Amino acid sequence: MVELAELTAGLDRQARRRARLRESAVSFAMMGPAVLLYTVMTVVPVGVAVYLSLTDWDGFSAAAFIGLDNYKHLFDDPSSSEAWYVTALIATAGTVLMVGLGLVYALALKGRSRANSFFRAVAYFPHVISALILGYLWAAILGTNGAINNTLAKFGIEPLGFLFDEQFALISLIGVIVWAGFGFNVVLFVAALQTVPAELLEAAAIDGASKRQINLRIVIPMIAPVVTVATVLNLVGLIRAYDIVVSLTGGGPAGSTQTFTYLILARSFEGTKVGYATAQAVFLMVVSAVLALVVTALRNRQDQAATGS
Amino acid sequence: MKTMWRRACGLTVAPLVMASAVACGGGSDQASEGTTLRVIVNITPNLTEKYWNDLFDGYEKAHPGVTIKLELTGTISPDAKLRQDLAAGDPPDVAQQITPKADNVSLFTDLSDQPWIKKTPLTAQYAVGGKHYVAGVGEQIQSLVFYNKAAFAKAGVDAARITTMAQFTSAMGELKDAGYKPLQTAGQWVTGAQFSMIADAGVLTADPEWSAKRNQGKASFAESGYLPYFDHYKSWIDDGYLEKSALGLTYADGQTAFLNGKSAMYVMGSFFVPAADAAKKSDDIGVFTMPTDGAYPSGQFGNISNPYVVVNKSRHKAEAIEFVKWATTDAAAIKSQLASDGNLREGFTYPMSSLGTSVQQILDKAPSVLVKSGESEPITGFSDELNKQIQSLYTGASPEDAADGLDKWWNSQS
Repeated sequence: MVELAELTAGLDRQARRRARLRESAVSFAMMGPAVLLYTVMTVVPVGVAVYLSLTDWDGFSAAAFIGLDNYKHLFDDPSSSEAWYVTALIATAGTVLMVGLGLVYALALKGRSRANSFFRAVAYFPHVISALILGYLWAAILGTNGAINNTLAKFGIEPLGFLFDEQFALISLIGVIVWAGFGFNVVLFVAALQTVPAELLEAAAIDGASKRQINLRIVIPMIAPVVTVATVLNLVGLIRAYDIVVSLTGGGPAGSTQTFTYLILARSFEGTKVGYATAQAVFLMVVSAVLALVVTALRNRQDQAATGS
Repeated sequence: MKTMWRRACGLTVAPLVMASAVACGGGSDQASEGTTLRVIVNITPNLTEKYWNDLFDGYEKAHPGVTIKLELTGTISPDAKLRQDLAAGDPPDVAQQITPKADNVSLFTDLSDQPWIKKTPLTAQYAVGGKHYVAGVGEQIQSLVFYNKAAFAKAGVDAARITTMAQFTSAMGELKDAGYKPLQTAGQWVTGAQFSMIADAGVLTADPEWSAKRNQGKASFAESGYLPYFDHYKSWIDDGYLEKSALGLTYADGQTAFLNGKSAMYVMGSFFVPAADAAKKSDDIGVFTMPTDGAYPSGQFGNISNPYVVVNKSRHKAEAIEFVKWATTDAAAIKSQLASDGNLREGFTYPMSSLGTSVQQILDKAPSVLVKSGESEPITGFSDELNKQIQSLYTGASPEDAADGLDKWWNSQS
């Protein structure tokens, strides 16, 4: 009798094991397409890029392995350091302005009304148009022969250096980037603001909190995770700023608006230095990843401090 | 469970099947009824997409079954476009505006055994290792100063007497006093290109091997005949002969400003002539050879025009070679391309404006055409860096800083 019970238990265990195996196999098969696509679309290209960054490949001849020479050259190349400076300025100022303006705009337009919907659409509209086209449009407005300077010329006023003065050009570039991108943050923030419980805000108002206090002490902390996401997205996006640079300033004057991505695409890839360009791109990817991780970690730490955990 | 398993397998296999179908389906450009030749073309204000389509229509009519498909480069150079296509495993058949160098000739078909190749211009100058990979339609010369006749008359300046840099600078002062912007420039690539047009005539006439020496590390910008030209250029900015605001102009805007009579002089290549003709301003504009600090007239800094290469990986090489032969040797095709971009070729004439005729006379009198190719070809990226350094003269850099910056960049690339 005991033997029969043991046999039955053994058969049950086997059946359960087979069922678990079948379930695992099905799960793996379900994940298969996604894993395959991720591997083909992301892992393999990144692996190939890392390999190419260690070669002197010119884009067509056989590539020779040169170790870390391309990475060393990143630090000797005078163009690289200048481009990093410009990129850092654009990424920092652009992110602060895009997030800040987006937040102010979203707070001002969070209510449900036709006027608010209209102004939200207006803010988001530039995001729909290709950045390359926006750059050309603004070049036609800000250029020496552009709409503004032509109007000034009619009054005998000298042209303003929106695009020909090196500092002004950088400010113009950041301005256009912020104008083109902050609408996306507005949409994110408005969506986040809708999730803030109305009763919480009502309670705060009944307790005598001012609008400013409600926004600073309740609303903004509650949408902080979305602000973090927007900050990371903006920062990583602006580190890769390229299309508006090409069409608005072309990296000029005198390279004063040349970003790192512009350097990679317009100079290294345009030349025959594909291996070096790939090393620059890998370096950029690492910097972007580190920045994203740092911002997220800081945010997490702040959240933990706030909740006391 | 079986159904679920089958669905899972199906989901796994579907992308592979789709990817295979896409991979196998694309790539063939040999239609059943003929051949499509894909040609990377150079688009400029003179050479528009419509121009190329109209020109190549003639070839298609004479060669039934062959279709020419333009490959536009967008914001990148023809060279970069070619490399993109090659990297994507989708080689075009023919490319324009690429001049082969020692390190990339393997990309192009050797045309040396083609009997017609030596009839095309500047073949010897553009040979690599004694072989001919490129066929051009004509020549462009670029050491030219176009001038506004009315401005010169008002300022009392005689263009024929400007043969030295000192006289050129003095003329700019007189033109400024007469109320004109003395010299027109622009942003984008124009600033650096104009400096080349200004300085190369003098430096390379004095030492035709200078570029080769720079490539070998035996010469530098900071310690050569180029430095005085950086000095001249900087002094023109400081004296207000060149305006910083021009850096905010596009190439087309700069050209239009000169054509509209706002400025007195415009240093540009022979390809400016068709723009002047189209604006019906040719008779109001004169031209003289760029003055130098040395010999006058100097050699003309020049280059091959409308260069064509056959891509080695072309799937229709024989047809592509035939097409290049037509583009560079057919009389009607040559005349059309020469006229469209104001280019020149011995033995070919086309109806020219007074300005075009003046340019032709300058070429006839020039002691040489100075071509930067082969061993004299600057390293890749030089024109961008030169542009940046010349623009830095407007933003406070000294001539020494700019020349030194150029040398440092060059050294960092080798």
